[in-house]
Amino acid sequence: MKHARTRLPAVVALPFLLALVLDLVFYAALRDRLPTRLATHFTGTGTADGHTGQTAFVLAVSAALVLLGALWAAATLRPGRPAGGARTLAGSAWGTAAFLGFLTAATLRANLRTLARLPLWQLAEAAGVAAVAAGIGLLLVRYVPKPDPEPSTGLPRARVELADGEVAGWARRVDSWWVLAGAATLLAAGVVVWAVLGRVFAVPALAIGFLTLLFARPYVTVDRRGVAVTTGWLPWPRIRVPLSRIGGASHRNVDALMDFGGWGHRVRPGATGIILRSGDALVVRRTGGREFVVTVDGAAEAAALLNTLAERDRGQASR
Amino acid sequence: MLFRVDPTSAAPLGDQIAACVRGALAEGTLDAGERLPAARVLADSLGVNVHTVLRGYQQLREEGLIELRRGRGAVVVDGASPPGRARLLERVRELADEARKLGLSEDEVVSLVRAAF
Repeated sequence: MKHARTRLPAVVALPFLLALVLDLVFYAALRDRLPTRLATHFTGTGTADGHTGQTAFVLAVSAALVLLGALWAAATLRPGRPAGGARTLAGSAWGTAAFLGFLTAATLRANLRTLARLPLWQLAEAAGVAAVAAGIGLLLVRYVPKPDPEPSTGLPRARVELADGEVAGWARRVDSWWVLAGAATLLAAGVVVWAVLGRVFAVPALAIGFLTLLFARPYVTVDRRGVAVTTGWLPWPRIRVPLSRIGGASHRNVDALMDFGGWGHRVRPGATGIILRSGDALVVRRTGGREFVVTVDGAAEAAALLNTLAERDRGQASR
Repeated sequence: MLFRVDPTSAAPLGDQIAACVRGALAEGTLDAGERLPAARVLADSLGVNVHTVLRGYQQLREEGLIELRRGRGAVVVDGASPPGRARLLERVRELADEARKLGLSEDEVVSLVRAAF
């Protein structure tokens, strides 16, 4: 197990180290032929419009690569990563490192000419190199042993005692004041933009603000139809997993940033989530193996009811 | 919170919904200040009429367990009393049921309670 803990950080930190070493070697080889002030910022047409001293540029690039490598390595050390998180981390680390490393080398090479130019197509080249590197990262991560599965999946599944013919339903609103605040800010910004710049510019802020407002305080319901997340006052939009597609349910603590990379409707490898905060969350395992996660208080009760109803549904289906 | 009703039972569905809330309060799974689901959401979930749910909520309001406010919905009253009050109300209902079975009139039961007080 010790290997698994140290190998993944190594796999994600390695590309940054490689990029750093290659760029430094490249710089050392070109150093004598480079101008004292390097062209480091380019316009859309490829002409330089910003310059930096040689030492400052090399230091900045090195610091950036070291910092990013450390960040990626640190991200792998967080507990409770979802399955598939290792692949995402390794792929993105290799891609990012290759992109930055390539652009640094391209910038240095561009400065060999008296009139430094870095055309836009070199960005596309960098993206291509990044894609190849990401592929290498994904290949390497295969050699990292998988961590032990989440303990919550191994726990016995909770049930609710339900008599025949009894109808049960569970409903709870997810209160998150900061989503409301965000929606209000967006709407206010939209109104201000409307007044200052005109209607066309205000539309995106107003549209996103309104959508956020719709889902700021969603209802999570568990009943004879399955599990659903709704706005609470409109029949649509809504997200529903019917009982027939539910393999089981449990609850666990989720960390919005570390497990889902943010808030809102999140899609991760192996999981989809409505993540409005960190903390208690209802975890529904679909029959296909994917997880549907929604953060809500009292998720244990919801999971128990969902297990009971799904089992009852399977019993009726096989009868 | 969890609601369960039995459509085949003789007890009115509104009473059953109120009983769920009383039970959750008595057991401590529902706390003071907590919000009950909106009547429309709950009605949709249980497959009953909105007015049935509202009848249940109205009953709880008359018993002093919840507050119904426009815009805020149904909220369990604040303070330490709700759990004790909910337990007492459950027993009052048991008492009324028992008395009815024995054929006692309302006045008789009230005078018995007054004597015991």
